[in-house]
Amino acid sequence: MTTTIAVAGKGGVGKTAIAALLIDLLSKKGVVLAIDADPSTNLNDALGLSLRETVGRAREELTEDIKKGRLSPTISKQDVLDMRIMEALVESPKIDLLAMGRPEGPGCYCAANHMLRLSMERLAKNYDYMVMDCEAGMEHVSRQTTQDIDFLLTISDPTMRGITAAARMKELIKEMRTKVGKVYLAVNRVKDGLPQEIEKAIGDFGLDLIATIPEDPYLAELEIKGKPIIELPEDSPLQLRAKEIVAKFGL
Amino acid sequence: MAGIFPVDVGPQYEGEVIRKGDMYVEFGGPEVKSKFELVTLKSPDEVENEKIEVVGPNIADMKEGASYPMALMIDVAGAGLEKDMEPVLERRIHLYTNYIEGLYHMNQRQDMWLRLNKDSFAKGLNSLEEIGKILMFLYTSEIDIIEKISMTFITDEKKVEELLTEAMKIYNERDEKARGLKEEDVEEFYSCALCQSFAPTHICAITPERIANCGAINWFDGKAAYKLDPEGPIQEVKKGEPIDPIRGEYTGANQLAAEKSMGAYTRVYLHSAFEYPHTSCGCFQAIWFYIPEVDAFGIVHRDFAGETVVGTRFSTMAADTSGGRQVEGFLGLALEYLRSPKFLQADGGIKRLVWAPKEIKEMYKDVIPEDLYDKIATEEDVKNVDELVEFLDRVGHPWVKGEVELPV
Repeated sequence: MTTTIAVAGKGGVGKTAIAALLIDLLSKKGVVLAIDADPSTNLNDALGLSLRETVGRAREELTEDIKKGRLSPTISKQDVLDMRIMEALVESPKIDLLAMGRPEGPGCYCAANHMLRLSMERLAKNYDYMVMDCEAGMEHVSRQTTQDIDFLLTISDPTMRGITAAARMKELIKEMRTKVGKVYLAVNRVKDGLPQEIEKAIGDFGLDLIATIPEDPYLAELEIKGKPIIELPEDSPLQLRAKEIVAKFGL
Repeated sequence: MAGIFPVDVGPQYEGEVIRKGDMYVEFGGPEVKSKFELVTLKSPDEVENEKIEVVGPNIADMKEGASYPMALMIDVAGAGLEKDMEPVLERRIHLYTNYIEGLYHMNQRQDMWLRLNKDSFAKGLNSLEEIGKILMFLYTSEIDIIEKISMTFITDEKKVEELLTEAMKIYNERDEKARGLKEEDVEEFYSCALCQSFAPTHICAITPERIANCGAINWFDGKAAYKLDPEGPIQEVKKGEPIDPIRGEYTGANQLAAEKSMGAYTRVYLHSAFEYPHTSCGCFQAIWFYIPEVDAFGIVHRDFAGETVVGTRFSTMAADTSGGRQVEGFLGLALEYLRSPKFLQADGGIKRLVWAPKEIKEMYKDVIPEDLYDKIATEEDVKNVDELVEFLDRVGHPWVKGEVELPV
């Protein structure tokens, strides 16, 4: 069985960094499929992996090939897409990564997205963990995966806007085809404890606070050198809290 | 199977993906230029039964973690075998290799991709002969009309490259033949309900001569998808009796429409835009639209952003066409349908086309009769229906001149 974790939050709250650290930690327990489902960030950089073609691009190419009549009539398009997904997969010893790319443009993707869901579903089965770094709208989760989510980890900074966005995501996920197990909130960049207003908002929204993470002093240097987030030292606050989160998930 | 072969064999290994981290070697795939697999039917005296030949380096000579060229050529003979079965037998390579523990096969033909994992290599699946033996066992035990079988694995890059040219010719011939498949040749059509969430009364009827409106699912896709997921959105439909073979009315397709449109439509013409045209979802690639002033048709595709000759854009027209309704004179369809010999044959087909965006005309130049090509107006020739009437008169469009005969 594959344990599926979705990490989501509004831009700039450190969501990709936390997703990368969770992936790195889980890769010590099993093989992980990392899904970069946020076109505005680069999960691959955070993990120190290169990038191949995106899934979105593979789907566009398929629709283009269909339009131009470039495919063999007898080879099923599902097979063609399966192959292109495998070609888009970035493979490393314990972590494989797929970047979803941009959501589809105008036009019809009913058939293409259906095929994509089947491809993704078949691929995901082969991993112990699937971790998705999602943009706030979670468009990719709703359209391209049928996978049930075991843990939804929403990330916020200690601002009312961030918390509201996290609460909205918790609501949003209910409307999707996916079933969600547990929903948690982690608040990043917290200085001297949570402000009272924020604490109250978390309670009012019924969010389950799993961790508060202080500003990480090592992060700036890493960013300057352009090194992957997973190279944060063991005693870095982000690393320590990521470990706690994995433990609290019971993984 | 334990004992006979170094690794386990069975359907439980299907769907097992071999990750690069676990891979011993791979053959073909994106890293390798020359690769293919081919099954050929031969006469019994041409096949040395159960012979396995390896040309080029074998697995033991290979570097762990590396990618190699591969041509897998299987020859079969048997009184009950027919030439048409070659592609079917070839597709079994995919099935049977995936039955083998620690082997992972993807794709087919010149895109084949085979991975062997470290565990199975260590267990003794360490030569192409070993793989060949298991494959032969599966072929002969599952398909008893195979009387003789032999296999050649070629890993020598030059040799694979040479043979690939020949193989490509065979693949192209097969595709040509598949394109020639007719509704009369088959008993089953397929239906696709993928768009029903948008258009609840819409159901796509897919025949060898009518691809789904979105252009993504042809008859072969339908067949493959149904086999893969018999409970899925793509279902097999009995063709039934032809009521009107010209208009493309079949008892099976009528029944399908009645059931899936919840009684809204009980008849459907697969090859006419009049009376009972096929319903349109929201996913069609193009709209085939009636222009009453000239009693002929125009076509516009999704990518065409400008105004059509009748003054509306694709988006506006799409709103009137879509939603799973039968709208006489308006048909959402796949561009590839233009290649069908039955393309709206009851109405005159492509010979009744008088206006099309330049892009479509160029893309489908090969299916437009040569003497008609310059007589179909584009956005560059005319801006409105008045200009179209004048254009058609000037060039002498055969439909307007009354030279096109409708089939009876």
